[in-house]
Amino acid sequence: MNSLIKLELTRALRNRKFLFFSVIYPSVIFLLVSNQTGNVDGSGLSVAKYVMVSMASFGALTAVLMGNSERIAKEREGGWVRQLRLTTLPGRGYVLAKTASAAVVSLPSIVVVFLVAAAVKDVRLDAWQWVALTGAIWAGSFVFAALGVAIGYLASGDAVRPITMIVYFGLSILGGLWMPSSSFPSWLQDIAKWLPTHAYAALGRAIEQSQAPHAQDIAILVAFFLLFAGGAAWLYRKDTLKA
Amino acid sequence: MTTTATATTPVVGFDQVSKTYGSVRAVDGLSLALHPGETVALLGPNGAGKSTTLDLLLGLRNADSGTVRVFGTSPREAIVNGRVGAMLQSGGLMDEVTVAELVKLACDLHPKPYKVADVLARASLTQIADRKVNKLSGGQAQRVRFALATAGDSDLIVLDEPTTGMDVSARQAFWATMREQADQGRTVLFATHYLEEADAIADRVLVLHRGRLLADGTAAEIKAKAGARRVSFDLEGEIDEAPLRNLPFLTSITVSKSGSAAGSSQTIRIQSTDADATVHALYGLGVYPRNLEVAGLGLEQAFVAITAAEEARQS
Repeated sequence: MNSLIKLELTRALRNRKFLFFSVIYPSVIFLLVSNQTGNVDGSGLSVAKYVMVSMASFGALTAVLMGNSERIAKEREGGWVRQLRLTTLPGRGYVLAKTASAAVVSLPSIVVVFLVAAAVKDVRLDAWQWVALTGAIWAGSFVFAALGVAIGYLASGDAVRPITMIVYFGLSILGGLWMPSSSFPSWLQDIAKWLPTHAYAALGRAIEQSQAPHAQDIAILVAFFLLFAGGAAWLYRKDTLKA
Repeated sequence: MTTTATATTPVVGFDQVSKTYGSVRAVDGLSLALHPGETVALLGPNGAGKSTTLDLLLGLRNADSGTVRVFGTSPREAIVNGRVGAMLQSGGLMDEVTVAELVKLACDLHPKPYKVADVLARASLTQIADRKVNKLSGGQAQRVRFALATAGDSDLIVLDEPTTGMDVSARQAFWATMREQADQGRTVLFATHYLEEADAIADRVLVLHRGRLLADGTAAEIKAKAGARRVSFDLEGEIDEAPLRNLPFLTSITVSKSGSAAGSSQTIRIQSTDADATVHALYGLGVYPRNLEVAGLGLEQAFVAITAAEEARQS
């Protein structure tokens, strides 16, 4: 299985367009929107700190969601998944390799946002906070990696790209990764606070505020992870039976 | 006479295997056994159930009923033990990686792998080892699939219509490589709808039609059965049909009147398993056939002819 992970990684790192979108693009947006001074309402965090977590989360989301769903759908239809089933690779090996390679790309996209924030916007945190932030955002990205796999097995052909885009932008914007959800009308805030992306960013912000992450956020993320991973596993088995 | 041969496990054993899609019986009570070292062609027209049979053999699908054993184990176990290498019909490949990288992956995943360089050389891929997989021509991609199927020392090689999309010279080169594999004692099973291909390569031919095994024999035997020809001609005037019906090697005959102003004439259509002998005997009847035509039957029609013959024998 390691050789497949290695090859998936080689391929991901070779794809410049994908690397730009998942590694550079979040940092670029960070620089564009973190210009205001002062604090974000109700958080006690400076704009730069607030946006840094949003963009690190957004970058990780991009890395794990965008590449995989489309590729899985394509490779399923093209017959590569069938070909792999004629090797010693265990059935779930393909999905694990996809998830692992996505996770490896998501890590630099998180770190690059942090580096840019520290170097350009003078964001300063304690050492433990940097480590905890990186760990929490990276670990949280697995929730969305599972979602990417589920979409890859759910949709096919031309449908997979629009579905991925809708889910990706919907989760990013409504979850408050692009602008604080406190700027939404209150009915929308009520919906947004149940989204996994909202809980995801809240995780990072709690660490910035030197607090332990809220139990509710962790519960939401765990629930969504179980939902997405369970859905992916179910769709995967269904696909295997009809392949 | 006592035999010293132990009850050898067949390479592949199908026992009363059926597979249905909706209302279509793709494979219908199929039983067969392949033995070590055989080169076997699975011959049949499109839709005969060849691909489904191979899918069942490779564990890509599960049978509705019956059992499939490969080297005495489940198909999946045989693959995990590295005993089976397979090339699927237009099987997908991983994009955006090089030929060498993909072949290396196949070698890494095989329990008894060959050296990457050797696999590339055998599939004539050395020259294009650094090319991206998605930039290959159809024939080159087919050679990559072949390389994936032969990345390790497997005992059984399964090929689903491997020469689809290859030109004549590529086809010949492909079968030359394949014969090498067979000469090393491997069992080779390939699906094809070309009778000529089965004839040239296989030492045993299984004919599949509508999911059932129609014939099982040497290529020559199948050729004699499936090599039926159609003979058609016109006869003028009133004719006696009885001697026509008794022509040798005849499997079917239809007589249709085609009356014209000049007088009545009949068009006779005959299917024969040995057209030369049938026509020779026809002249022996002392008639004067006009517009004589002898044509080969397509494989599909040949199968219908065999089926009809089988059914006639059974009733």
